[in-house]
Amino acid sequence: MSILIKRSKSGCFNSACNVKLWRLNSTSADSALKKGEEEEEFRVLDILKKRDKMQRRVVKRTDVQPDRIDRMATNQNWGNVWPGPKTFHPSSVPLPIRQGYVPKGQAPPGKKANAELMKIPNFLHLTPPVIKSQCEALKQFCTEWPNLLNSEESIEKHYPLEIISSDYCHASPSIRNPLARVVILRVQLADLKLDKHATDKFKRLVGDRYDPKTDLVTITADRCPTKVQNLDYVNYLLTACYHESWNFEDWEKEKTEDDMEYYDWDNNASKRSLIDWYLRVKNELKIMNDEEYKAFDISQIENGAQYKASVSKYMNEGENPQTVQEYSIAVRKLFGLPQKKLV
Amino acid sequence: MNAIRSIWRLTPVRGVTIPNYAIRSLSANTTALPHAVEPVVPPVELDKLYKRVELEMRGIDPAVLLSYSWFCVAAASHLGIEVTKSWALRKAEKERHTLLKCVHIYKKHKVQYEIRTYFRFIHMQRLTGSTCDTYLEYIERNLPEGCALKVTKIECQKLPEHLVPPKKESEE
Repeated sequence: MSILIKRSKSGCFNSACNVKLWRLNSTSADSALKKGEEEEEFRVLDILKKRDKMQRRVVKRTDVQPDRIDRMATNQNWGNVWPGPKTFHPSSVPLPIRQGYVPKGQAPPGKKANAELMKIPNFLHLTPPVIKSQCEALKQFCTEWPNLLNSEESIEKHYPLEIISSDYCHASPSIRNPLARVVILRVQLADLKLDKHATDKFKRLVGDRYDPKTDLVTITADRCPTKVQNLDYVNYLLTACYHESWNFEDWEKEKTEDDMEYYDWDNNASKRSLIDWYLRVKNELKIMNDEEYKAFDISQIENGAQYKASVSKYMNEGENPQTVQEYSIAVRKLFGLPQKKLV
Repeated sequence: MNAIRSIWRLTPVRGVTIPNYAIRSLSANTTALPHAVEPVVPPVELDKLYKRVELEMRGIDPAVLLSYSWFCVAAASHLGIEVTKSWALRKAEKERHTLLKCVHIYKKHKVQYEIRTYFRFIHMQRLTGSTCDTYLEYIERNLPEGCALKVTKIECQKLPEHLVPPKKESEE
């Protein structure tokens, strides 16, 4: 077979005239040439290949390298051995680790050819000295927190506005997380410069975004697709509400007693009945209009101020044992009745 | 075919308009040159201030989460970040699916599969913007497989300057 191939390679052109050439090329014809060149012979097919046998392939045994751990120095820099995150490799970790679940009484399998050790992500690249050296290198990019902002009060005083947003880092087909677009703005109502009317209007505008217990206004924006847009939108909402609350519209003059956000004693029937009672006691009863009732100075009535305070508190805070007790004390003082004896 | 024709019609128009813009911009440049001599001072970019940064890490393996949180706390202490809290939920959050053991019959025999998610939390406070970016970049790059990280940043800002009561004159 090799002859045929060699022939086709070397002398596909003029094979008839150049017989010797391809004979010289072929290996099996060499012996025939030695016998006599002048005697033309047919070549013999050597089936068993007795003459020159193919050299046998010697299977070389590769030397198994000794474990890397055997050549490790005890004072080596571990960070150079294991520089980055990698699957566990038994021959480069010089620790007698065992891992695996076995029946009771048996020792867990060792580190060689142990799939359990390869499954779990290891932290061999983040040893304490490595973390320390990496942090030393990173420290040049860090800045100090300002010294004067050393308490919560000072931070809240100088930087009252809070912007809350989240970032997400996870392994999934997409690195985007739709929740990252949400932006929350939080500010204390007391920090905004608002007057009495504007505060009331601002509370009505933001509705349940205002929490009376903590005095915080929380505005959440998630309707835009990106974080920057939501941040802009949140700032826009705060600005719009703020300036709208300072506007005084014509229809706001039609606010009646039912629309009041708190109980104002001076405008209510309680003051009228107190004045009527006072004047009747003095025999000076006269018919007064609303303006006169409002303008009436109650400081001339003995214990009137305390009565006013207790009634206002009762109406504003609601009925609870304390307000009821204060009310009873105020009424008894007003009428000159003896105080309730404590049992 | 009609569409191709329309495109064909459109293309020369575009070709004409582009040089027009070019000329316009050139002329604008020539007029603006004397004004552009003044050096443009870039606005000073102030560092952000983060009052609090809350890390929430969730994963499928509590041991890995523990190591990772240990790493986060160590890195924070080396970078001078104040860690206020670090804790884990006592139990994993389990998402369960109940299926029939046999697909079609035997309703009384069911199997339950569950996915457990373990949580860990770290709170830190008072970071400047550059510190926060450096630190987060560092720990996010070393996030192990099978873990997810959620970072909630509470940034504190000054009140915007336009939030001042309007003047009486401007109202009238």
